[in-house]
Amino acid sequence: MVNDLQVQNSSFIDWEEKPIHISRQIQPHGILLVLQEPDLNILQVSNNVSTVFKIASEEILKKNLEDLLDPFQIEQIKLGLSQESLDFINPTKIWIKVKGDEYVIFDGIFHRNSDGFLILELEPASSQENIPFLSFYHLARTSINQLESTSNLQDFCQIIVKEVRKVTGFDRVMLYKFDDDGHGSVVAEEKLAELEPYLGLHYPASDIPKVARKLFTSNWIRIIPDSHGEAAVLIPEKNPINQQGVDLTHSILRSASPCHLEYLHNMGVGASLTISLIKDQKLWGLIACHHKTPKHVSYELRKACEFLGRVIFSEISAKEETEDYDYQMRLTYIQSNLMKYMSQEDNFIDGLVKYSPNLLNLTDALGAAVYFGGEWTLLGKTPSIDDLNFLVQWLKNNVEEEIFYTDSLPRIYPDAEKFKDIVSGLLAIPISQRSYVLWFRPEVIQTVNWGGDPSKAVQASHNTQGILHLSPRKSFELWKQTVSLTSLPWQAAEIKAALELRKAIVNIVLRQADELAQLAHDLELSNSELKKFAYVASHDLQEPLNQVANYVQLLEMRYEKQLDEDAKEFINFAVEGVSLMQTLIDDVLAYSKVDMQAAEFQLTNVEHAFDRALINLRGRIAETGAIITHDFLPTVMADKTQLMQLFQNLIGNAIKFRSDKKPEIHIGASRQEDTWLFYVSDNGIGIEPQFSDRIFVIFQRLHTRDEYQGTGMGLAICKKIIECHRGKIWVESQLGDGATFYFTIPIGGRERERRSGRKTQNNLFSRG
Amino acid sequence: MSAEVDVKPKTIFLVEDNKADIRLIQEVLKNSSLPHEVITVRDGMDAMAYLRKEGEYASASRPDLILLDLNLPKKDGREVLAEIKSDPNLKRIPVIVLTTSRNEDDIFHSYDLHVNSYITKSRNLNELFKIVKSIEDFWLATVTLPEING
Repeated sequence: MVNDLQVQNSSFIDWEEKPIHISRQIQPHGILLVLQEPDLNILQVSNNVSTVFKIASEEILKKNLEDLLDPFQIEQIKLGLSQESLDFINPTKIWIKVKGDEYVIFDGIFHRNSDGFLILELEPASSQENIPFLSFYHLARTSINQLESTSNLQDFCQIIVKEVRKVTGFDRVMLYKFDDDGHGSVVAEEKLAELEPYLGLHYPASDIPKVARKLFTSNWIRIIPDSHGEAAVLIPEKNPINQQGVDLTHSILRSASPCHLEYLHNMGVGASLTISLIKDQKLWGLIACHHKTPKHVSYELRKACEFLGRVIFSEISAKEETEDYDYQMRLTYIQSNLMKYMSQEDNFIDGLVKYSPNLLNLTDALGAAVYFGGEWTLLGKTPSIDDLNFLVQWLKNNVEEEIFYTDSLPRIYPDAEKFKDIVSGLLAIPISQRSYVLWFRPEVIQTVNWGGDPSKAVQASHNTQGILHLSPRKSFELWKQTVSLTSLPWQAAEIKAALELRKAIVNIVLRQADELAQLAHDLELSNSELKKFAYVASHDLQEPLNQVANYVQLLEMRYEKQLDEDAKEFINFAVEGVSLMQTLIDDVLAYSKVDMQAAEFQLTNVEHAFDRALINLRGRIAETGAIITHDFLPTVMADKTQLMQLFQNLIGNAIKFRSDKKPEIHIGASRQEDTWLFYVSDNGIGIEPQFSDRIFVIFQRLHTRDEYQGTGMGLAICKKIIECHRGKIWVESQLGDGATFYFTIPIGGRERERRSGRKTQNNLFSRG
Repeated sequence: MSAEVDVKPKTIFLVEDNKADIRLIQEVLKNSSLPHEVITVRDGMDAMAYLRKEGEYASASRPDLILLDLNLPKKDGREVLAEIKSDPNLKRIPVIVLTTSRNEDDIFHSYDLHVNSYITKSRNLNELFKIVKSIEDFWLATVTLPEING
């Protein structure tokens, strides 16, 4: 990812391409000799060789190593070189006679390069004797003892830098850790109090180019005792045997690249020591030691530090794995909690957001959103619902997998740039085409530990010539550009946890679908029960009624002469009672026949339904002289029989509840956003507003039967018809001032309002 | 020929489980001027046994009209109707369904089974008188039905 965003700085690019290891420059604090085995002929030397041997470099090139050293030393060296590993003779104390009895002692380090030449490097030794192995052991043991009582990685790293600083005495020791993209950050630091802290600073991957990185993995420890020292040069330039430059990959004296030196200069570093931390053959991090002034660290001590690095680092790796494992365990724990909460709640989404831990904890996100059934549930920092709707649309078109994640959404979905502060990282699990769980992470810049005042540091890095110079702060700026629009990456454990959650939600949704299917089945059963009841009502209930009515009448007929007026009146009451019962049964039947399933929704001309209602009402219209007018009536998706019944009931009521004026009834219709609004208004007796809900309830009446006949079913049937069509019905009226009944029918038919309609339907059944 | 035949009392076969309804129909028929006898059975099985002259009904006389209720014990009125109308010996006997059911399915189904008439029982006694009168007038006095021996 970083490589395709090549940094706009030529010095970086140069550095990326230049082969650092084929160099003829070495640091001036030591001497390098290229030798040919077995005679140890001197092929090349660094041009500072004369400062030690007091012979012109050109002269030395004609010689053999044997000419320069004591025969005893040569014998030792030859013995060492014949061993399997050069580790046995590294370092070898080499005594060089300066004049008379005056000797200078060097640490001699041998290695064979890729071309098979022997390279001897001489560094001035700080002591005459090798440091005994035991001291390595002591060094490491103290540190490891401290480490054992430390539980987290952070403290671990801190102990390492502290120990390294203690044994080396550098002004500043930092532990620098690389992330998966190659960017690095300072995770631990020990330093002189007066130095500016670098702890927490981030660096772009380009700060340490690939070539340098490769060298770090082969050379585990590198020292620059004097960053200002003038480099010595190998002479002759090319190896006289193969006429090529010398491979100095494993050289300890090899000069650092000018770019790196400049970097050090800009930081005010006089000397540096770098120890590589390698895990699984990959550069995990570096221990970087800086000193303001030149500082040499003996080969043994460097080796001791490397040893320390290796030993401690093996502990770090273990700890890191434990931390990963611990994090996984924590996520598993959160996940099982979420599942528990989801199963406790009626709506599983509540289980994800209402408790602690919640959805955010599962992936260490700062915002989360659940899109389910067309509704959003938001948690933490999230974009607006509008932005989320567009995002989901985009996901729907672009994501088919069970999980989708990116740490740079704005680069693949440019609209996200405007809310990069909230969503630079996105983790999404589609539950279905219309349901998603989303997690958000902000742009990483927002979360970085700045470690000091960045603006001040940027100024300090300005160079008098106006040329861009590298410095940690400048690098930090650069890193900021590199990682802009990018969040912290989603970790494998988090992705796994999200996938597990997806599984759980899918199960819940499936179970709910099962339950719904069961519910639908139960409803169907209860529906068919209802139909049976309707049949019983139409037959079995009527039979005894007929019987009572018939026999009472037979009694009256047969014994007319014996019965007095009272007896006849009683018989009339009995017959009337039966008659009312019959009407009630008929109306309940009519009510139960308004059946969602039986309804046939088709394009229905409302005017036709209205006309048919008028035909059914013609008797009463004629009797009362009612004047019925209407506006243009549209065509809607409806059941025409139910629609006719609706008009018949509403107009019938308008006539029945007329005032002493001649009934005037008007039917109107107007188009709303997604429904047709109809009304039936009259000039009748009106209804007190307090009863405007009650009148739609089954068997509710506002008058005695003496005043107005009826069962109190008419408007309940109207309401059921309208609910069947996913519409609404209500009345606006004042007592004595006529009434207007309004009802709506959705333009797209009942499908559009399915959800709300279903709820209403359940209420209906529970009431019945 | 027809005049002499007419004098013979008509046999009305009433299939009805409700005693009150049986009595009521008998009471109403009492008013009739037409000579007739009413034979009553209380369930669908007996009805078929009678019509097929089985068992105790071996010497049963063939009815001139069947008044059939739909909801009957043992064998449903709908089944009885189906059997009568698919039996070559019985299918020409006029059957009138006399029931309380106003269920549309029942009505359509009965006519599908070739019922001759479907009449809903009324709670108004006078209506019932009218209905029975019209049955008599139409089915027993007016309509010319094929002579069947046997």
